[in-house]
Amino acid sequence: MRRSALSNRPDPAGSDMQNEVWAALGAVDDPEYPGVSIVELGLVEDVRVIDQRVVVDLVPTFSGCPALTFIAADVRSAVGALDNIDDVVVTFVAEPAWTPERIAPAARQRIAAGFGVGVQVGVKPVACPQCGQPALREQSLFGPVRCRSVHRCTACGEVVELIR
Amino acid sequence: MARAWGTISEFEDFLDGGGFVEPNDDMPDEYRDQVFRFIELHANSELMGGLTERDWIPKAPGLRRKMSVLAKTQDEIGHAHLLYMVAADLGVRTRAEMLEDLFAGRGRFHNVFHYQAVTWADQVAIAFLVDAAALISQQAVFKNCSYGPYKRILRRIIAEEGFHMRHGEEMLLVFAEGTAVQREMFQAALDRWWWPTLHMFGPPSKPDDVLLRWHIKSERNEHLRDKWVQKYATLLTGYGFQPPDPDLRRDPETGKWVTGEIDWAPLKATLENLGPDSARRVGDAAHHWADTRWVRDALEARADEAA
Repeated sequence: MRRSALSNRPDPAGSDMQNEVWAALGAVDDPEYPGVSIVELGLVEDVRVIDQRVVVDLVPTFSGCPALTFIAADVRSAVGALDNIDDVVVTFVAEPAWTPERIAPAARQRIAAGFGVGVQVGVKPVACPQCGQPALREQSLFGPVRCRSVHRCTACGEVVELIR
Repeated sequence: MARAWGTISEFEDFLDGGGFVEPNDDMPDEYRDQVFRFIELHANSELMGGLTERDWIPKAPGLRRKMSVLAKTQDEIGHAHLLYMVAADLGVRTRAEMLEDLFAGRGRFHNVFHYQAVTWADQVAIAFLVDAAALISQQAVFKNCSYGPYKRILRRIIAEEGFHMRHGEEMLLVFAEGTAVQREMFQAALDRWWWPTLHMFGPPSKPDDVLLRWHIKSERNEHLRDKWVQKYATLLTGYGFQPPDPDLRRDPETGKWVTGEIDWAPLKATLENLGPDSARRVGDAAHHWADTRWVRDALEARADEAA
Protein backbone atom coordinates (compact mmCIF):
# COMPACT_ATOMS: atom_id res chain seq x y z
CA MET A 1 0.00 0.00 0.00
CA ARG A 2 1.48 3.28 -1.08
CA ARG A 3 0.32 6.24 0.94
CA SER A 4 -0.75 9.38 -0.89
CA ALA A 5 2.34 11.45 -1.59
CA LEU A 6 2.50 13.97 1.22
CA SER A 7 -0.17 12.91 3.65
CA ASN A 8 2.05 10.86 5.99
CA ARG A 9 -1.04 8.81 6.65
CA PRO A 10 -1.90 5.28 5.71
CA ASP A 11 -4.44 4.71 3.01
CA PRO A 12 -7.90 4.39 4.62
CA ALA A 13 -8.66 1.58 2.17
CA GLY A 14 -5.71 -0.46 3.45
CA SER A 15 -6.14 -3.75 5.27
CA ASP A 16 -6.34 -3.90 9.06
CA MET A 17 -2.90 -5.45 9.21
CA GLN A 18 -1.42 -2.68 7.08
CA ASN A 19 -2.99 -0.10 9.34
CA GLU A 20 -1.57 -1.88 12.36
CA VAL A 21 1.90 -1.83 10.79
CA TRP A 22 1.58 1.89 10.02
CA ALA A 23 0.52 2.51 13.62
CA ALA A 24 3.54 0.55 14.89
CA LEU A 25 5.84 2.56 12.59
CA GLY A 26 4.27 5.74 13.97
CA ALA A 27 5.74 4.79 17.34
CA VAL A 28 9.31 4.41 15.98
CA ASP A 29 11.24 7.59 16.75
CA ASP A 30 14.05 8.91 14.63
CA PRO A 31 17.32 8.34 16.58
CA GLU A 32 18.34 12.00 16.24
CA TYR A 33 14.91 13.52 17.01
CA PRO A 34 13.49 11.64 19.99
CA GLY A 35 9.73 12.23 20.04
CA VAL A 36 9.43 12.54 16.25
CA SER A 37 8.49 9.37 14.39
CA ILE A 38 9.93 8.08 11.15
CA VAL A 39 6.42 8.27 9.65
CA GLU A 40 6.19 11.98 10.46
CA LEU A 41 9.63 12.52 8.93
CA GLY A 42 8.39 10.93 5.70
CA LEU A 43 10.92 8.08 5.82
CA VAL A 44 8.30 5.37 5.23
CA GLU A 45 7.47 5.01 1.55
CA ASP A 46 5.54 1.78 1.38
CA VAL A 47 4.23 -1.05 3.53
CA ARG A 48 3.28 -4.40 2.02
CA VAL A 49 1.79 -7.31 3.90
CA ILE A 50 2.17 -10.67 2.19
CA ASP A 51 0.63 -13.42 4.32
CA GLN A 52 2.48 -13.08 7.61
CA ARG A 53 5.40 -11.26 6.12
CA VAL A 54 5.80 -7.47 6.13
CA VAL A 55 7.99 -5.48 3.79
CA VAL A 56 8.71 -1.87 4.78
CA ASP A 57 10.30 0.42 2.21
CA LEU A 58 12.18 3.33 3.76
CA VAL A 59 13.57 6.41 2.05
CA PRO A 60 16.87 7.54 3.60
CA THR A 61 17.23 11.30 4.13
CA PHE A 62 20.75 11.07 2.71
CA SER A 63 22.41 8.00 1.27
CA GLY A 64 25.08 6.90 3.68
CA CYS A 65 23.15 8.20 6.69
CA PRO A 66 24.73 6.42 9.67
CA ALA A 67 21.38 6.06 11.44
CA LEU A 68 19.93 3.69 8.82
CA THR A 69 20.95 0.44 10.49
CA PHE A 70 19.49 1.59 13.81
CA ILE A 71 16.26 2.73 12.17
CA ALA A 72 15.97 -0.63 10.39
CA ALA A 73 16.56 -2.49 13.68
CA ASP A 74 13.93 -0.35 15.45
CA VAL A 75 11.43 -1.00 12.63
CA ARG A 76 12.03 -4.76 12.78
CA SER A 77 11.51 -4.82 16.50
CA ALA A 78 8.39 -2.61 16.51
CA VAL A 79 6.65 -4.37 13.62
CA GLY A 80 7.89 -7.81 14.66
CA ALA A 81 6.17 -7.36 18.01
CA LEU A 82 2.72 -7.30 16.32
CA ASP A 83 0.61 -10.44 16.47
CA ASN A 84 0.51 -12.72 13.43
CA ILE A 85 3.72 -11.43 11.88
CA ASP A 86 6.54 -13.88 11.25
CA ASP A 87 9.00 -11.85 9.27
CA VAL A 88 9.80 -8.18 8.75
CA VAL A 89 11.94 -7.08 5.83
CA VAL A 90 13.23 -3.51 5.73
CA THR A 91 14.50 -2.18 2.43
CA PHE A 92 15.97 1.20 1.63
CA VAL A 93 14.79 2.54 -1.69
CA ALA A 94 16.70 5.02 -3.83
CA GLU A 95 13.55 6.44 -5.37
CA PRO A 96 11.83 8.69 -4.68
CA ALA A 97 14.48 10.92 -3.15
CA TRP A 98 13.72 12.18 0.33
CA THR A 99 13.04 15.91 0.55
CA PRO A 100 12.13 18.10 3.54
CA GLU A 101 8.60 18.47 2.04
CA ARG A 102 8.01 14.92 3.25
CA ILE A 103 8.14 16.04 6.90
CA ALA A 104 4.59 16.44 8.24
CA PRO A 105 3.76 20.11 9.01
CA ALA A 106 2.99 19.35 12.67
CA ALA A 107 6.35 17.59 13.02
CA ARG A 108 8.15 20.58 11.48
CA GLN A 109 6.78 22.70 14.30
CA ARG A 110 7.79 20.18 16.95
CA ILE A 111 11.32 19.92 15.53
CA ALA A 112 11.64 23.72 15.59
CA ALA A 113 10.30 24.01 19.13
CA GLY A 114 12.03 20.94 20.54
CA PHE A 115 15.42 21.07 18.83
CA GLY A 116 15.75 24.60 17.43
CA VAL A 117 16.04 23.12 13.96
CA GLY A 118 14.11 24.64 11.04
CA VAL A 119 12.97 22.85 7.91
CA GLN A 120 13.91 24.27 4.52
CA VAL A 121 11.00 23.60 2.18
CA GLY A 122 11.76 24.67 -1.39
CA VAL A 123 13.35 28.12 -1.47
CA LYS A 124 10.86 29.73 0.91
CA PRO A 125 12.62 31.73 3.68
CA VAL A 126 12.44 29.81 6.95
CA ALA A 127 11.42 31.46 10.21
CA CYS A 128 14.10 31.49 12.89
CA PRO A 129 13.07 28.81 15.43
CA GLN A 130 14.12 31.21 18.20
CA CYS A 131 12.57 34.59 17.25
CA GLY A 132 10.28 33.73 14.35
CA GLN A 133 11.82 36.22 11.91
CA PRO A 134 12.59 34.93 8.39
CA ALA A 135 16.11 36.37 8.66
CA LEU A 136 18.48 33.40 8.45
CA ARG A 137 21.81 33.72 6.68
CA GLU A 138 23.70 30.57 5.70
CA GLN A 139 27.04 30.00 7.44
CA SER A 140 27.90 26.60 6.05
CA LEU A 141 26.17 24.09 3.83
CA PHE A 142 26.85 21.20 6.19
CA GLY A 143 26.40 21.04 9.94
CA PRO A 144 26.94 18.18 12.38
CA VAL A 145 24.89 15.92 10.13
CA ARG A 146 24.70 15.73 6.35
CA CYS A 147 21.01 16.61 6.22
CA ARG A 148 21.44 19.96 8.03
CA SER A 149 23.05 23.31 7.15
CA VAL A 150 24.16 25.99 9.65
CA HIS A 151 22.70 29.49 9.67
CA ARG A 152 22.80 32.66 11.70
CA CYS A 153 19.64 34.66 12.42
CA THR A 154 20.39 38.27 11.48
CA ALA A 155 17.46 39.43 13.64
CA CYS A 156 18.20 37.76 17.01
CA GLY A 157 21.71 36.36 16.48
CA GLU A 158 20.74 32.74 17.13
CA VAL A 159 22.86 29.93 15.65
CA VAL A 160 20.31 27.79 13.80
CA GLU A 161 20.39 24.58 11.81
CA LEU A 162 18.05 23.75 8.95
CA ILE A 163 17.04 20.35 7.63
CA ARG A 164 17.52 20.63 3.92
CA MET B 1 16.35 43.73 24.17
CA ALA B 2 19.31 43.86 26.53
CA ARG B 3 18.75 43.44 30.23
CA ALA B 4 20.97 44.63 33.05
CA TRP B 5 21.21 43.78 36.73
CA GLY B 6 22.13 46.33 39.37
CA THR B 7 24.05 43.99 41.63
CA ILE B 8 25.48 40.48 41.60
CA SER B 9 22.84 39.38 44.07
CA GLU B 10 20.04 40.61 41.75
CA PHE B 11 21.72 38.69 38.94
CA GLU B 12 21.96 35.58 41.09
CA ASP B 13 18.30 35.89 42.09
CA PHE B 14 17.46 36.00 38.40
CA LEU B 15 19.51 32.84 37.78
CA ASP B 16 18.07 31.07 40.83
CA GLY B 17 14.59 31.88 39.52
CA GLY B 18 15.37 29.90 36.37
CA GLY B 19 16.15 32.92 34.16
CA PHE B 20 18.19 32.56 30.97
CA VAL B 21 20.96 34.95 30.03
CA GLU B 22 21.15 35.96 26.35
CA PRO B 23 24.22 37.29 24.44
CA ASN B 24 23.01 40.91 24.31
CA ASP B 25 22.34 41.10 28.05
CA ASP B 26 24.59 43.22 30.22
CA MET B 27 25.81 40.22 32.23
CA PRO B 28 28.50 40.45 34.94
CA ASP B 29 32.00 40.21 33.44
CA GLU B 30 32.94 37.20 35.54
CA TYR B 31 29.86 35.30 34.42
CA ARG B 32 30.70 36.16 30.81
CA ASP B 33 34.28 34.88 31.32
CA GLN B 34 33.21 31.69 33.03
CA VAL B 35 30.59 30.83 30.41
CA PHE B 36 33.06 31.66 27.66
CA ARG B 37 35.79 29.43 29.11
CA PHE B 38 33.34 26.59 29.58
CA ILE B 39 32.02 26.72 26.00
CA GLU B 40 35.52 27.22 24.57
CA LEU B 41 36.70 24.07 26.37
CA HIS B 42 33.73 22.17 24.95
CA ALA B 43 34.33 23.51 21.42
CA ASN B 44 38.05 22.69 21.54
CA SER B 45 37.25 19.19 22.81
CA GLU B 46 34.74 18.52 20.03
CA LEU B 47 37.32 19.64 17.46
CA MET B 48 40.18 17.60 18.92
CA GLY B 49 37.82 14.62 19.36
CA GLY B 50 36.68 14.92 15.75
CA LEU B 51 40.29 14.93 14.53
CA THR B 52 41.01 11.80 16.58
CA GLU B 53 37.97 10.11 15.12
CA ARG B 54 39.08 11.15 11.64
CA ASP B 55 42.36 9.26 12.02
CA TRP B 56 40.35 6.04 12.30
CA ILE B 57 38.22 6.39 9.15
CA PRO B 58 40.71 4.48 6.97
CA LYS B 59 41.47 1.95 9.70
CA ALA B 60 37.92 1.13 10.85
CA PRO B 61 37.03 -2.50 10.05
CA GLY B 62 34.40 -2.67 7.31
CA LEU B 63 32.28 -0.23 5.38
CA ARG B 64 29.60 0.10 8.06
CA ARG B 65 32.10 1.06 10.74
CA LYS B 66 33.79 3.49 8.38
CA MET B 67 30.40 5.12 7.77
CA SER B 68 29.78 5.47 11.47
CA VAL B 69 33.27 6.86 12.17
CA LEU B 70 32.85 9.26 9.27
CA ALA B 71 29.49 10.41 10.62
CA LYS B 72 30.88 10.81 14.13
CA THR B 73 33.74 12.90 12.75
CA GLN B 74 31.27 15.16 10.98
CA ASP B 75 29.10 15.36 14.11
CA GLU B 76 31.99 16.47 16.26
CA ILE B 77 33.47 18.97 13.82
CA GLY B 78 29.93 20.30 13.31
CA HIS B 79 29.40 20.63 17.06
CA ALA B 80 32.72 22.49 17.33
CA HIS B 81 31.56 24.81 14.55
CA LEU B 82 28.29 25.65 16.36
CA LEU B 83 30.02 26.00 19.75
CA TYR B 84 32.76 28.33 18.42
CA MET B 85 30.01 30.58 17.03
CA VAL B 86 28.22 30.67 20.39
CA ALA B 87 31.49 31.22 22.29
CA ALA B 88 32.63 34.01 19.95
CA ASP B 89 29.27 35.80 20.45
CA LEU B 90 30.28 36.42 24.08
CA GLY B 91 32.85 38.88 22.78
CA VAL B 92 35.71 37.64 24.95
CA ARG B 93 37.84 36.14 22.17
CA THR B 94 37.16 35.69 18.48
CA ARG B 95 36.95 32.32 16.81
CA ALA B 96 40.32 32.97 15.14
CA GLU B 97 41.92 33.73 18.51
CA MET B 98 40.48 30.58 20.08
CA LEU B 99 41.84 28.44 17.26
CA GLU B 100 45.19 30.20 17.34
CA ASP B 101 45.44 29.48 21.09
CA LEU B 102 44.50 25.85 20.57
CA PHE B 103 47.02 25.18 17.80
CA ALA B 104 49.78 27.04 19.66
CA GLY B 105 49.28 24.71 22.64
CA ARG B 106 47.73 27.42 24.84
CA GLY B 107 44.15 26.16 24.62
CA ARG B 108 42.49 23.56 26.79
CA PHE B 109 40.63 20.46 25.71
CA HIS B 110 39.34 17.41 27.58
CA ASN B 111 41.94 15.13 29.14
CA VAL B 112 40.81 12.07 27.15
CA PHE B 113 42.13 13.61 23.93
CA HIS B 114 45.65 13.78 25.38
CA TYR B 115 46.12 10.01 25.12
CA GLN B 116 46.87 7.79 22.19
CA ALA B 117 44.27 5.35 20.84
CA VAL B 118 46.53 2.36 20.19
CA THR B 119 44.18 -0.19 18.59
CA TRP B 120 40.63 -0.29 17.22
CA ALA B 121 39.60 -1.59 20.65
CA ASP B 122 40.67 1.78 22.06
CA GLN B 123 38.17 3.45 19.75
CA VAL B 124 35.53 1.04 21.03
CA ALA B 125 36.48 1.84 24.63
CA ILE B 126 36.27 5.54 23.83
CA ALA B 127 32.85 5.15 22.19
CA PHE B 128 31.55 2.96 25.01
CA LEU B 129 33.09 4.65 28.06
CA VAL B 130 34.18 8.18 27.18
CA ASP B 131 31.15 9.10 25.04
CA ALA B 132 28.91 7.91 27.86
CA ALA B 133 30.81 10.02 30.37
CA ALA B 134 30.58 13.05 28.08
CA LEU B 135 26.84 12.49 27.68
CA ILE B 136 26.30 12.27 31.46
CA SER B 137 28.19 15.57 31.91
CA GLN B 138 26.39 17.31 29.05
CA GLN B 139 22.97 16.19 30.24
CA ALA B 140 23.73 17.63 33.66
CA VAL B 141 24.81 20.96 32.14
CA PHE B 142 21.77 21.04 29.84
CA LYS B 143 19.34 20.38 32.70
CA ASN B 144 19.95 23.66 34.44
CA CYS B 145 22.10 25.75 32.10
CA SER B 146 21.48 29.49 32.56
CA TYR B 147 23.13 30.61 29.32
CA GLY B 148 20.35 30.41 26.70
CA PRO B 149 22.30 29.90 23.45
CA TYR B 150 24.45 27.15 24.99
CA LYS B 151 21.45 25.32 26.41
CA ARG B 152 19.74 25.39 23.02
CA ILE B 153 22.81 23.98 21.22
CA LEU B 154 23.26 21.32 23.92
CA ARG B 155 19.81 19.84 23.38
CA ARG B 156 20.84 18.93 19.83
CA ILE B 157 24.31 17.76 20.83
CA ILE B 158 22.77 15.47 23.45
CA ALA B 159 20.39 13.89 20.93
CA GLU B 160 23.36 13.15 18.66
CA GLU B 161 25.62 11.87 21.44
CA GLY B 162 22.88 9.47 22.50
CA PHE B 163 23.14 8.02 19.04
CA HIS B 164 26.97 7.67 19.38
CA MET B 165 26.34 5.65 22.51
CA ARG B 166 24.31 3.12 20.54
CA HIS B 167 27.30 2.69 18.24
CA GLY B 168 29.55 2.23 21.28
CA GLU B 169 27.30 -0.40 22.81
CA GLU B 170 26.99 -2.28 19.56
CA MET B 171 30.78 -2.29 19.01
CA LEU B 172 31.46 -3.37 22.59
CA LEU B 173 29.18 -6.39 22.13
CA VAL B 174 31.28 -7.52 19.18
CA PHE B 175 34.36 -7.59 21.42
CA ALA B 176 32.56 -9.00 24.46
CA GLU B 177 31.11 -11.88 22.44
CA GLY B 178 34.27 -12.25 20.35
CA THR B 179 37.33 -14.46 20.39
CA ALA B 180 39.87 -14.62 23.22
CA VAL B 181 42.11 -12.28 21.21
CA GLN B 182 39.30 -9.72 20.84
CA ARG B 183 38.51 -9.92 24.55
CA GLU B 184 42.18 -9.40 25.42
CA MET B 185 42.31 -6.44 23.06
CA PHE B 186 39.36 -4.80 24.75
CA GLN B 187 40.71 -5.53 28.24
CA ALA B 188 44.02 -3.87 27.25
CA ALA B 189 42.10 -0.84 25.96
CA LEU B 190 40.05 -0.73 29.17
CA ASP B 191 43.30 -0.71 31.15
CA ARG B 192 44.31 2.41 29.24
CA TRP B 193 40.94 4.26 29.30
CA TRP B 194 39.39 3.51 32.70
CA TRP B 195 41.28 6.11 34.71
CA PRO B 196 41.25 8.89 32.09
CA THR B 197 37.47 8.48 31.90
CA LEU B 198 37.17 8.85 35.69
CA HIS B 199 39.41 11.94 35.48
CA MET B 200 37.23 13.45 32.77
CA PHE B 201 34.58 14.46 35.31
CA GLY B 202 37.18 16.60 37.09
CA PRO B 203 38.29 16.62 40.73
CA PRO B 204 35.55 16.91 43.40
CA SER B 205 33.73 20.26 43.03
CA LYS B 206 34.67 22.96 45.53
CA PRO B 207 31.85 23.91 47.91
CA ASP B 208 31.72 27.45 46.50
CA ASP B 209 32.09 26.43 42.83
CA VAL B 210 30.92 29.44 40.85
CA LEU B 211 29.91 27.22 37.92
CA LEU B 212 27.34 25.57 40.18
CA ARG B 213 26.23 28.81 41.77
CA TRP B 214 25.59 30.39 38.38
CA HIS B 215 23.78 27.37 36.99
CA ILE B 216 26.34 26.58 34.36
CA LYS B 217 26.79 23.14 35.88
CA SER B 218 23.90 21.54 37.74
CA GLU B 219 25.66 18.69 39.54
CA ARG B 220 28.90 18.22 41.38
CA ASN B 221 31.73 16.50 39.50
CA GLU B 222 31.98 13.67 42.02
CA HIS B 223 28.25 12.91 41.77
CA LEU B 224 28.42 12.62 38.02
CA ARG B 225 31.52 10.42 38.24
CA ASP B 226 29.75 8.19 40.74
CA LYS B 227 26.73 7.88 38.44
CA TRP B 228 29.04 6.73 35.65
CA VAL B 229 30.97 4.29 37.88
CA GLN B 230 27.76 2.64 39.13
CA LYS B 231 26.57 1.97 35.62
CA TYR B 232 29.83 1.09 33.87
CA ALA B 233 31.50 -0.97 36.62
CA THR B 234 28.35 -3.14 36.55
CA LEU B 235 28.29 -3.43 32.75
CA LEU B 236 32.02 -4.09 32.35
CA THR B 237 32.26 -6.71 35.07
CA GLY B 238 29.02 -8.22 33.75
CA TYR B 239 30.75 -8.77 30.41
CA GLY B 240 33.70 -10.31 32.26
CA PHE B 241 36.10 -7.37 31.92
CA GLN B 242 38.08 -6.04 34.86
CA PRO B 243 38.61 -2.30 35.42
CA PRO B 244 42.31 -1.69 36.32
CA ASP B 245 41.56 -0.68 39.91
CA PRO B 246 42.50 -3.34 42.50
CA ASP B 247 40.45 -1.48 45.12
CA LEU B 248 37.25 -1.29 43.09
CA ARG B 249 34.60 -3.09 45.13
CA ARG B 250 30.95 -3.16 45.99
CA ASP B 251 30.09 -1.76 49.39
CA PRO B 252 28.50 -4.72 51.18
CA GLU B 253 25.92 -2.49 52.89
CA THR B 254 24.78 -0.18 50.11
CA GLY B 255 25.64 -2.47 47.20
CA LYS B 256 27.23 0.51 45.48
CA TRP B 257 30.58 0.48 43.71
CA VAL B 258 33.46 2.23 45.46
CA THR B 259 36.64 3.03 43.53
CA GLY B 260 40.17 3.13 44.86
CA GLU B 261 41.87 6.43 45.44
CA ILE B 262 42.14 8.54 42.29
CA ASP B 263 45.57 9.89 41.36
CA TRP B 264 44.98 13.37 39.93
CA ALA B 265 48.52 13.95 38.62
CA PRO B 266 47.75 12.63 35.10
CA LEU B 267 44.76 14.99 34.84
CA LYS B 268 46.88 17.97 35.91
CA ALA B 269 49.46 17.12 33.25
CA THR B 270 46.80 17.10 30.51
CA LEU B 271 45.51 20.50 31.68
CA GLU B 272 48.99 21.87 30.97
CA ASN B 273 49.00 20.11 27.56
CA LEU B 274 51.70 17.81 28.94
CA GLY B 275 49.80 14.53 28.62
CA PRO B 276 51.32 11.45 26.94
CA ASP B 277 50.04 12.36 23.47
CA SER B 278 49.40 16.12 23.84
CA ALA B 279 52.27 17.36 21.71
CA ARG B 280 51.44 15.09 18.78
CA ARG B 281 47.72 15.88 18.97
CA VAL B 282 48.22 19.63 19.05
CA GLY B 283 50.91 19.42 16.36
CA ASP B 284 48.66 17.36 14.08
CA ALA B 285 45.75 19.74 14.58
CA ALA B 286 47.95 22.74 13.76
CA HIS B 287 49.26 20.91 10.71
CA HIS B 288 45.72 20.15 9.45
CA TRP B 289 44.77 23.78 10.00
CA ALA B 290 47.73 25.05 7.98
CA ASP B 291 47.19 22.39 5.33
CA THR B 292 43.57 23.42 4.68
CA ARG B 293 44.22 27.14 4.57
CA TRP B 294 43.69 27.28 0.81
CA VAL B 295 40.09 26.08 1.28
CA ARG B 296 39.31 28.92 3.69
CA ASP B 297 41.09 31.43 1.44
CA ALA B 298 39.07 30.25 -1.55
CA LEU B 299 35.80 30.50 0.41
CA GLU B 300 36.63 33.99 1.60
CA ALA B 301 37.61 35.15 -1.89
CA ARG B 302 34.29 33.81 -3.14
CA ALA B 303 32.42 35.63 -0.35
CA ASP B 304 34.23 38.88 -1.20
CA GLU B 305 33.30 38.49 -4.84
CA ALA B 306 29.67 37.92 -3.93
CA ALA B 307 29.60 41.01 -1.69
